[in-house]
Amino acid sequence: MALMKKSPWVAVYNASSCNGCDLEVLAMLTPRYDIERFGCLWRDSPRHADILLVTGIGTKQSAKRLKRIYDQMASPKYVIAVGSCAISGGVFKEGHNFAGPIDKIIPVDAYVPGCPPRPESIILGVVKVLEKMK
Amino acid sequence: MSDYLVPFGPQHPAIKEPISLRLKLSGSTVEGVDAQLGYIHRGVEKIFERENINNALYLAERICGICSYAHASAYTRAMESMMHIRAPPRVQYLRTMFAELERLHSHLLWAGFMCHEIGFETLFQLFWREREQILDVFERYTGNRVHHSYNKLGTVRYDIEDEDYIREQVHSILPTVKSLRSEIKGNGVVAARFKKVGPVTHKQAIEYCLVGPPARACGVKNDIRKLDPYEAYGKTKFKQPIYKSGDSYARTMVRLDEIFESVKIIDQCLRDMPATKVPKHSLKALPQGEGYGRVEAPRGENFHYYIVKDSKITRAKIRPPTLAVFPALETMMLGAHVGDVPVIVASIDPCIGCMERITVTKGRRTETLTEQEFRRKYCG
Repeated sequence: MALMKKSPWVAVYNASSCNGCDLEVLAMLTPRYDIERFGCLWRDSPRHADILLVTGIGTKQSAKRLKRIYDQMASPKYVIAVGSCAISGGVFKEGHNFAGPIDKIIPVDAYVPGCPPRPESIILGVVKVLEKMK
Repeated sequence: MSDYLVPFGPQHPAIKEPISLRLKLSGSTVEGVDAQLGYIHRGVEKIFERENINNALYLAERICGICSYAHASAYTRAMESMMHIRAPPRVQYLRTMFAELERLHSHLLWAGFMCHEIGFETLFQLFWREREQILDVFERYTGNRVHHSYNKLGTVRYDIEDEDYIREQVHSILPTVKSLRSEIKGNGVVAARFKKVGPVTHKQAIEYCLVGPPARACGVKNDIRKLDPYEAYGKTKFKQPIYKSGDSYARTMVRLDEIFESVKIIDQCLRDMPATKVPKHSLKALPQGEGYGRVEAPRGENFHYYIVKDSKITRAKIRPPTLAVFPALETMMLGAHVGDVPVIVASIDPCIGCMERITVTKGRRTETLTEQEFRRKYCG
């Protein structure tokens, strides 16, 4: 319950993922998983958000945009890399357009592994960041 | 003359995937659309070229997270046609059933999105709650919710054990979907936002070679399951929902009707499935030469083409459904109100991850090309 003192708002940016992770991030909002229990609220604009969830490998084109989005967020800000692609590039590591992984582009606070990770594990990632905020 | 140039995306609340549209506006009417793509171009076709045929299956799935099984089945269909083998009957029924389960989850997901675009958050949540029932089936039989890795060349990984469980789960969504469908049908707000928004005529649909639900919404009968039956589709009976008006409303209704047809197919598969064993591994010959496979993905025709040499893929060509539908987006948007743009984009059910092409950046100039244009211009 001590965690509930903070109420961070989350935003997601798809840095060229296959949609699998994005679906699981969205499933996190829906009735079965419902991240609002932890005081988190979904925001469409990263400018309003405290936590940025990043999915995908980070291609050359989206890396620039990701950097810009990160710079637009107000401090203190936290980033969670969701999925194998965001952590290491996954199956697309050898692709010619790979500019990641995400922690090379922007600082990352938590990593959630899986292809794609289950909504529960993404929630765990968010809760870990909540602990870090204390 | 256009008054404004409004950027739409790549990070935009209405589209979950990064595409960037530059809208030329005159007042609030769209006069021109310039799509800038390349944010999700991962070079999948190139990565295929080094892959062993067994590993490439897992790469094929990861082209897209929503129609993951459609890509896997197009891949297996291409490889099996190359080897001139057909999977045993039980495997065919199992594959058909999983393809239809995927259609259910994809359409429910999309229906939720469509309602989200017009601000109907409650319907979004309700559709996604029902979708979890289908994902439970996937998780129970394949071990994963999104990328199932269910197909193997010539066979499937797991057999199903209790058929009643699938029947129960699939039928449990029907009452809610029925009531939500009548809600969408009878609601004046939904009608005002969807009807006559982003229309395409029958003639334009044929000219643009539209596929899947957007084509069926204009009266074009192009369901690959009917035209070129694969797996067990030839032995099942189902209807192709056809609408005439070609607007966002018709596209919505086609997909909602397909949910009920998919449930019918799943019921028939469970009833007619022969009780034989699923072979552990039935790969008798290695594929060699070239082969193609096409399947009806939830979004339309999905086409894979491969050349294989010494059990390594040397060339892959993939035409996912969104690539076929995307060029028609401009026709749909011209003359539309700027507020309707998110609805029109969502109504074609875009899957940008599937369709990314090459973007060339030279100095400050950026151009998006197809592979042929790129070759002509830069490799000539």
